[in-house]
Amino acid sequence: MTKRIAILTALIFVFALSAAPQQRGRPVPTGPAPRLPDGKPDLSGVWTGGGPVADIRQGLAKGESIPLLPEAEKIMKSRQSKDDPEANCLPTGIPRIAPYPWRIVQTPTHIFFLFEGNIHSYRQIFMNVNKHPDDLDPTWYGHSIGHFEGDTLVVDTIGFNDKFWFDFVGHPHTEKLHTIERYTRKDLGTLVNEVTIDDPGAYSKPFKVTFTARFMPGEELMEYICQENEQDSKHIQGPAQNPNENNPLTGRTVR
Amino acid sequence: MRRSLGIFLAAALLLTAAAPAIAHHAFAAEYDADQPVTLKGKVTKFEWTNPHARFYIDVVDAKGVVTNWNLELASPNVLKRNGWSSKILQIGDTVTVEGSRAKDGSKMANAKAVTLANGQRVFSGLQGADAPNAPNPNQ
Repeated sequence: MTKRIAILTALIFVFALSAAPQQRGRPVPTGPAPRLPDGKPDLSGVWTGGGPVADIRQGLAKGESIPLLPEAEKIMKSRQSKDDPEANCLPTGIPRIAPYPWRIVQTPTHIFFLFEGNIHSYRQIFMNVNKHPDDLDPTWYGHSIGHFEGDTLVVDTIGFNDKFWFDFVGHPHTEKLHTIERYTRKDLGTLVNEVTIDDPGAYSKPFKVTFTARFMPGEELMEYICQENEQDSKHIQGPAQNPNENNPLTGRTVR
Repeated sequence: MRRSLGIFLAAALLLTAAAPAIAHHAFAAEYDADQPVTLKGKVTKFEWTNPHARFYIDVVDAKGVVTNWNLELASPNVLKRNGWSSKILQIGDTVTVEGSRAKDGSKMANAKAVTLANGQRVFSGLQGADAPNAPNPNQ
C-alpha cells in the first residue's frame, strides 16, 4: 500500500514538474527528433513555451546579467504594467512568447510560426532569401531569414519597431534590435531556442538567453481574439518592474 | 486502495491549485494574491470570450444589498483544455467562488476555484505565477 502511494505521488510530481501549463497531467513525449525526407530536422507541430514571458533574465546562463544601458534602464523603470503592449492585445515581438500554444509549419521556402494566443497572428521566416532588404520599415516581428546549420534552424531578424516589451517587467529595446534565434529539436518533445539579442541602442553588448519549448502531440490551435473582451488594462496597477509597489488596496509597498 | 486513491486525488488537487498562471498580462499587476475573497451568489451573465472568460454574480449581503461581481477566468482555450465548456455555468445558477480581489478595489476578482450548482469544484487554470517555460537548460 505504502509503495503504491509513493509511486502515485512520485508520478504526480514528475508530471507536474515536467509539463508546461498547457499540458499539465500529460507526460512530455520522448523519442528521437523526427526528420523530413530530405534529412533536415522536422520542427513542425504544436509547441508551448520557448521564449520569455515574465522576465527575460530567466533565460540567462548562471552568473550572467543583462547589460542594460542607462537610458534603457530609465525607460524600464518608467514603465507601468497597464501599458504592456501584450496586455493591450498587441503582439509579443521577438523573442517574447505568449503563454499559449503555437504551431511551426515548415515548407521548403517558408517556415511559419502560427500563434494561437496573444495575438492570433503569425511570423514568417524566409528560407529562400539570404539577405534582408535595405529598405525595411519597422514592424512588430521584423524581417526574418532562416537557414539550417547542421540540425539547428538559425533565424536572423532585423527591422523591428521599438514598441513591444521583452517581458512583463518591461525590458526595452530600440529599432536597432537584431536577433539571432537558434532552434534545435533535441528530441521529439524538446525544442531549445538559444537567442542572441544585439541592440546597441539599449544594451552595451550582445547577450544570450535560452528557452525551451515543449511539444504538444495531438493538440490543435484554437481561436483566440484578444480584443474581444479586454477589460484588464484599465484595472492593472503599478510599475512593471514591481507591480506590488504602492498597492492601493492593501496600502502595502513592497520593494 | 480507496485510501490511496483519496491521497492521490488530494495531491492532484493541490498541484492543480498551485499551477502557474496562463494570462496575457502580469497577474500581480491586477490582482492581489494576499486579498483572498470567497463569494456566493447567482450567476447573472457568462462571457465565453477572450482574452479571459468572465462571469458575473449577484451577491446579497446581510442587509439585503445586492452587489454584482465581475469574475475573471482563464481564456476559453485554457478552460476548454482543462475540461470546461461554454455551458458549464447557466444564468441563475448559485455558485461559490474562491479568488483574489482586484487591486483597484473594484468589484472584480480572479476566480481560482468555482463550486458549481451541482456541488462540483472546478479550477480556472489561472493562478499566481507566470512562467510557461521548461527549466532553463543553462541553469
